[in-house]
Amino acid sequence: MFLIKNEYFKGSQFLKAKYLMNCEVSLILDRKYEQLQQMSDDPSNQVSQVFEKSLQYVKRFSRYTNPDAVRQLCVLGNLCPLTVEEATLIVLSIKTRGRSHEDEDISKMLDDLNLIKKFE
Amino acid sequence: MFFHIVLERNMLLHPRHFGPHLRDKLVAKLMKDVEGTCSGRHGFVVAITGVESVGKGMIRDGTGFVSFPVKYQCVVFRPFKGEVLEAVVTMVNKMGFFAEAGPVQIFVSNHLIPDDMEFQSGDIPNYTTSDGAIKIQKDTEVRLKLIGTRLDATEIFCIGTIKEDYLGVINDPGAAV
Repeated sequence: MFLIKNEYFKGSQFLKAKYLMNCEVSLILDRKYEQLQQMSDDPSNQVSQVFEKSLQYVKRFSRYTNPDAVRQLCVLGNLCPLTVEEATLIVLSIKTRGRSHEDEDISKMLDDLNLIKKFE
Repeated sequence: MFFHIVLERNMLLHPRHFGPHLRDKLVAKLMKDVEGTCSGRHGFVVAITGVESVGKGMIRDGTGFVSFPVKYQCVVFRPFKGEVLEAVVTMVNKMGFFAEAGPVQIFVSNHLIPDDMEFQSGDIPNYTTSDGAIKIQKDTEVRLKLIGTRLDATEIFCIGTIKEDYLGVINDPGAAV
């Protein structure tokens, strides 16, 4: 989860709030739904319409479905690695799984992330 | 956008619930009261993820109720002006179209739809470009920018636009590629 200050969000509660990506929300709501299923036989009776709509929405618009990918994305965002080597050490599957990802692409991605950080 | 924040609330509990499962009953009541509600300040509370702390209960004078200050973490959905987000079209008419992003409804007026898109009425009302390449109808996914949010005490309603760069249809189920 990203913890960033942003002038958009006035109101002290949102300064300390953590932004959530749709895929993270999808994982959270799934786990909640399972908990409800374990507790009673008919969870769809108990969840509110807001919950249902939000769950449908995040499932539809999640770009990353693999929970491991989501975790790796968060790690990259939190740690802000500067070089390709650092990134590959932190997140091994960048190199091993995506052979199509050239080093140039990865370093470009890291540069973009650093730019965002600079313009905070 | 979804956020994970800590909120606080004073929960009133009837004495019949006092006993060994007091805390469980308190958490259950909290979830029933708060989940699914909307406040203008925090947005829609989608789900409570955990209870941080439960303060000491204060007995109310006059009634036997006890009020507990509860701090809890929850996932909320709060739209902001200027935010770009993706939504699903739910209704199209000649004034514009309605779209839904999670629990919140967004209206895009026809003034904020690009000029080359025209309204076509019929069985499936839609907005189409003059060459028919892009179509906005029910269930189309669009990326829009919120230009206004109206926050009541209990409701949030938004106005959006697709008249800027990189906004508009993302994925069109109706059109052939």
